[in-house]
Amino acid sequence: MLHGRPERAVKVLPEPDVLYLPLRSQRFGFSEVCVNDGQRVDAGDILAHDPDNYAVPLLAPRAGIARLKTTQNHIVLEDIGHLEEHADMSEEELSHIVQEMGTAGIKRYKLLALGAWQFFYDAYTGALPDPLGTPQAIIVSTLSLEPFVARGDAQLHGRLLNFTRGLEQLQSLLEYQPIYLIMPDIKSAFASQVREQIRGYAWVKLIEIPLKYPYDNFNILVRTLGLKKNAGPVWAVRTEGVLAVDRALTLTKPCLVRIISIGGPAVKSPVHLKAMPGYPIREIIDAFGPTAESRIINGGLLTGETIASNTLGLDVECRGLTVVPELKDRQFLGFMRPGWNRQSHSRCFLSSLRKNFRERLTTAMCGELRPCISCNFCEEVCPAGIMPHRIHKYLYRDLLEEADQSRVDLCIHCGLCSFVCPSKIELRKQFAEAQLLIEEEKKESQQELAQEKNA
Amino acid sequence: MKLLQQLFEAVRPTFETGGRLGVLKPIYEAMENFFFAPSATAPTAPYARDPLDLKRLMSAVIIALVPCLFAAFYFFGLRLIAMLIVSYAAGGAVEVTFAIIRKEQINEGFLVTGMLFPLILPPTLPLWMVAVGVAFGVLVGKELFGGTGRNIFNPAIVGRCFLALAYPAAMSGNWISAGEGFTGRFFQYVGTSDINAITTATPLVLAKQGSLVALPDMFLGKISGSIGETSAIAILAGGVFLLYTRVANWRTVVSILASFALLAGIFHHANPERFAPVLWHLCAGGLLFGAFFMATDPVTSPVSNAGKWLYGIIIGVITLLIRNFTGYVEGVMFAILLANIIAPILDEIVFSVRIRRLASEG
Repeated sequence: MLHGRPERAVKVLPEPDVLYLPLRSQRFGFSEVCVNDGQRVDAGDILAHDPDNYAVPLLAPRAGIARLKTTQNHIVLEDIGHLEEHADMSEEELSHIVQEMGTAGIKRYKLLALGAWQFFYDAYTGALPDPLGTPQAIIVSTLSLEPFVARGDAQLHGRLLNFTRGLEQLQSLLEYQPIYLIMPDIKSAFASQVREQIRGYAWVKLIEIPLKYPYDNFNILVRTLGLKKNAGPVWAVRTEGVLAVDRALTLTKPCLVRIISIGGPAVKSPVHLKAMPGYPIREIIDAFGPTAESRIINGGLLTGETIASNTLGLDVECRGLTVVPELKDRQFLGFMRPGWNRQSHSRCFLSSLRKNFRERLTTAMCGELRPCISCNFCEEVCPAGIMPHRIHKYLYRDLLEEADQSRVDLCIHCGLCSFVCPSKIELRKQFAEAQLLIEEEKKESQQELAQEKNA
Repeated sequence: MKLLQQLFEAVRPTFETGGRLGVLKPIYEAMENFFFAPSATAPTAPYARDPLDLKRLMSAVIIALVPCLFAAFYFFGLRLIAMLIVSYAAGGAVEVTFAIIRKEQINEGFLVTGMLFPLILPPTLPLWMVAVGVAFGVLVGKELFGGTGRNIFNPAIVGRCFLALAYPAAMSGNWISAGEGFTGRFFQYVGTSDINAITTATPLVLAKQGSLVALPDMFLGKISGSIGETSAIAILAGGVFLLYTRVANWRTVVSILASFALLAGIFHHANPERFAPVLWHLCAGGLLFGAFFMATDPVTSPVSNAGKWLYGIIIGVITLLIRNFTGYVEGVMFAILLANIIAPILDEIVFSVRIRRLASEG
């Protein structure tokens, strides 16, 4: 049991006075700003585009006056109106699109323009997939297993109808390709309810995945399902994405609010929140935590990013805020303590004799950096089936090619190896850097080849 | 506690690089992090880390050695204290010197080596030999390869092997009989000069001459032999703890003991006159100690699980072959050293198969 796990209840945040919309998020950089400083915008208006990601839009979550210069790297919305959202797309706009992309393209255009497309992932790369492409399958995951991020069951609660309608809409984007619906327990009451609703939809296949992090990772899921990369892209989407599809395609309304979590050991009352992008992070933190000096993380405990002090609002991809207390006191003779309530992969602590206990995590490294002693713990926990200790030793000697052969590219950055490592080696970071380097090198060599051919 | 922490803070500048005693920084850091958990926090995700570190891992081994130490004191007396002090001092000096030369931190692995080493020596070995042996083991067995994590051979066994080859008489001649009664040798200091206490044969030597020591004595450890290796029950108690805490991998231990027992069983069945029974062989000599505490060293054993199985089988088989078919009475030491050499090759084979399988993924 983790201390600070968000409850299933969803709380609605009070309407904000000002919204700070960051121009960067994990995948997107909204560099093409479409509004002028001081311009009045409606809720659902497009504030900016990301030119590198199929022009995915940054929507205004509320009506207000846009300020571009007051805060760096943010669009600030002031004088927030409580108008829910603006009307449907105009007739001319729609007919224009039909001319441009055909009737099939209209749905995809809606997804993109109404902010639902940003919930889609390419299952192999994690990037935003091409909205006009055709996938070999869609994976719909109701699971979200990383500690402290918003859980699928909380997002789905009471919205089963919207969910199944969203599934239907998803199917209408496809021809004959299957949709894999990932559930924790396909015999549960909830699963049978879903099955009741989607009876007769032969294209939906229910797949059971154990409730164990990180088996909800899309990369692991495609491998479990045995889908091959060269058969085309696989789209992956979580519960919130299906609900967004329903909203965009059935109601033709922009997706402006998402359910995020506020959790972590330093939060007094961890819970799920209905919040919009740009909501001031300070206000959320002040309302729900923290109990002591702590670090605020965008995302989960294992894969999130520390929120920089100059980021003021939630970004469009935020799935939860995790607040972890900073290490305060240095324990006296810490390595000799019995460790009654410490979570460990090994059984070197007395906690291994207890079944359930509430652990208080901190940001402490709990040890010093040491050389790898080949304890094999990293390999035991690795869900991708690679050998982190071996890749680490290659990277230590700058042997990129060997690391590539050992399939460092299969690493999904789940962070488990870095968590268990008794030598406190930053495996997750090293592998991410190695992947980038290898990709760059491969691109360069391909370019050279192409140049040689041209010559 | 507060005072101690303030003291550390106060003298810190002296030991920083460029300070008056900057050269001794490794010693300062080792002391500070011994008393107080390190203050570092996770710089990147994951933002919480497993509380297990090498200090904890190594202290688990030392806890597992407590039953053995207790038995050793009971059977062979207080001289063990002197041997432990000499072993830690001599080996520690080498370790610290290298840490200072390399400007690295002092590694905890030495704490285990320093304790294991006296336990695999004859109880009357001159103290200077203990010092020479452990210094050789740490220097040649570990530091020359690059320090913790990069050594091929188990340093304690390298040290013992050196002594066995350099001073064969001292290493195989003087065995004292085990203590008896309520207090055993708890309050005795039995040195090289106590001729009365000295017998000349361990169970394995006696077996070569045709007489088997009774099994219950061997199980308890009331036999002559290396200090920490005689009591099977104490080794088992500590060994089970090691396996439970996952500090030692059960695959290595099980494959050593199973392959050894199987082969010993076959031999005994074929010729009961010549070959001793399985249980006798299991309790004799350093097999159990080697299997639980020496062969399971993560650095020198294979990393892969399949490799560990093969590694264990090699140790088990070679030990039995040396015991029964060569001039040496005990073969665990050589078996582990040989398997240490083979370990990287075993890993290489297992990994090449796995990488070939991974090549077809995604």
